[in-house]
Amino acid sequence: MQKSPFILEVKDLKKHFPIRGGLFFRRKGTVFAVDGVSFSLRRGETLGLVGESGCGKTTVGRCITWLYKPTSGTITYDGIDMAAIHGAGLRKIRKEVQMVFQDPFESLNPRHTVGHILEEPFIIHRIGNAQQRRRAVSRLLDRVGLPGSAMDRFPHEFSGGQRQRIGIARAIALSPKLLICDEPVSALDVSIQSQILNLLLDLQRESGFTCLFIAHDLAVVRHVSDWIAVMYLGQIVEYTDADTIYKAPLHPYTKALISAIPIPDPTAATHRQVLSGDLPSPSDPPQGCRFHTRCPFKVKMCEKTAPSLQPADTASSAPVHQVACHRAAELAQRQDKQPNLP
Amino acid sequence: MVAGEKVLQMIGISPLTAKKIKRFRSIRRGYWSLVVFALLVFLSLFAELLVNNRAIVVSYNGRLYFPTYGNMIPGSVFGLDYEYETNYRQLAKKFRAEQDGNWIVMPPVPYGPYENDLSAGRYPPTPPSFSQKHYLGTDTSGRDVLARLVYGFRTAILFSLALLAITYVTGIIIGCAMGYWGGLFDLLLQRIIEVWSNIPVLYVIIIISSLLVPSFVILLVIMACFGWVSRTWIMRTVTYKEREREYVLAARALGASDLRIVLSHIIPNTVSIIITFVPFSIAEGIIALTSLDYLGFGLPPPTPSWGELLHQGWTNMDAWWIVCSVVVALVLTLTLVTFIGEAIREAFDPKMHTTYE
Repeated sequence: MQKSPFILEVKDLKKHFPIRGGLFFRRKGTVFAVDGVSFSLRRGETLGLVGESGCGKTTVGRCITWLYKPTSGTITYDGIDMAAIHGAGLRKIRKEVQMVFQDPFESLNPRHTVGHILEEPFIIHRIGNAQQRRRAVSRLLDRVGLPGSAMDRFPHEFSGGQRQRIGIARAIALSPKLLICDEPVSALDVSIQSQILNLLLDLQRESGFTCLFIAHDLAVVRHVSDWIAVMYLGQIVEYTDADTIYKAPLHPYTKALISAIPIPDPTAATHRQVLSGDLPSPSDPPQGCRFHTRCPFKVKMCEKTAPSLQPADTASSAPVHQVACHRAAELAQRQDKQPNLP
Repeated sequence: MVAGEKVLQMIGISPLTAKKIKRFRSIRRGYWSLVVFALLVFLSLFAELLVNNRAIVVSYNGRLYFPTYGNMIPGSVFGLDYEYETNYRQLAKKFRAEQDGNWIVMPPVPYGPYENDLSAGRYPPTPPSFSQKHYLGTDTSGRDVLARLVYGFRTAILFSLALLAITYVTGIIIGCAMGYWGGLFDLLLQRIIEVWSNIPVLYVIIIISSLLVPSFVILLVIMACFGWVSRTWIMRTVTYKEREREYVLAARALGASDLRIVLSHIIPNTVSIIITFVPFSIAEGIIALTSLDYLGFGLPPPTPSWGELLHQGWTNMDAWWIVCSVVVALVLTLTLVTFIGEAIREAFDPKMHTTYE
């Protein structure tokens, strides 16, 4: 079988959570957490998935690791349809697809020692004997920059950054081919964030895993990603490479996100584009373009028809640039006339 | 203290639990209640050595006899003219009168729980008397009240602990399954439990005991059949909460089996919540058995029981020592248990330990 260049292909992924209530758990409503997301990921590359909280990015990550079962759509990992496999087959894939969680205070069992936590992947997959496992654990600790003495200590004895290192060590224990990083640094101090990001980059360079990097902070994502997908209310609104999204963002939402990145220069002129209003409830998403309730450029059409993710017709040299906006081309031209926008 | 923590860790207690134990020990009222209560339970397990009509040691013609445990020793062994069980109190008197170098050590309370002490010229119930060694008097059948109290305590506490073990194991398994799998399984079981918990337990027991004499085991089974329900609710809720936490998701993402997740991750992290209910359940068990015995639907006579004593006391108010003894004993026991429960609840309060450093 010829190997596809893509390790992961997600097609029209939907995950709807029912809101239940009443005596017989009647379905009262639906949260459209992820509503038609498609993307593919090449081997060894990193895709950054960005969006504000509640836009469904974590749900995408949990669907890919099969922690949630998608409502519809397909997830193809290495040519295998995830929905079609169970039991032993799923366990084999679980070995290859690992996840780093957001909150290092939550993702480690407080009752297990670090050694026990890191040993668990090997126990579950029946790798090695007790002695070999212990050696593997100390190698893991070394790889993530923790002392070997950490083995017999408990998670609560470590700082947030150190705990996230433990979480990363657990995720890379089985040498996964695909690593889902679900906001791995957003719970950490800014000064620690870069250490953890560099650790992830180093590990990726060493073992060459593919990475889906989920974050709400574009600045963080740019540092680690080859590609960036911007999500809004369960859908991808813009998809392109990491440089283009900074230089020539097309979707008004992306622009707002970029303008929100603080510039470490007090004299720099800021054209901060503050979005008005809140994220609409994903249980009752707006008709038409989902962003129209907050979009400064909306027209009549935006309220009626939803734009699909289309290759953007721009002058930029980006090989792939997709955007879901009716007025993308028109706004791109306008942007040329206003070079002072970031 | 550091050394102490190391020891606790070695026997498999995490520092989180060690911290809770330390906190519990610092709540002195609860801690001392636990010490006293544990001592009482421990002593009651060896009640035969403390409260018994059999002697602890008999030295007769240079041979030592330990009649407490084992088969009864007929009177002829000690040179008495009968083949039934030796009356050691009389034997003691005889030895003292003879002064042949034979001696006998009696328990501090030399009466058994089933023994009717009907001395001539005295009509039960007799009031407390130190000379007779009936420290709390006798009941309407001439049985020693203290002996009945001690053995009744043992019955009640063993019943309570057995009931606790059965209901908790069942409740934890079922509640955990409901919380873990959720969905239709949870929904159906919830409704079944709601119906089940509306069956009046007392009536069931009354009906059953009118058909057959309820033994310790039968009573235990009936109570356990209805007692597991309340544990299920708590366990279900905490499992629901724990199941969605990231460390459980992480284990699942690693490919851990459901059994592994439940046993290795969920139960160790929920057990501290369950533990806080244990002392109150013990109190409930004691109360349940005592009330059933009081109503006459509990253990068959002449089993020593607090409920039966309470009933005697109530019907013979002029024999004040019966009702006073049992009421004081009940209040004392339940107070101790409640103090322990409060202290555990305070020491295990999750708010005290959820610290984000």
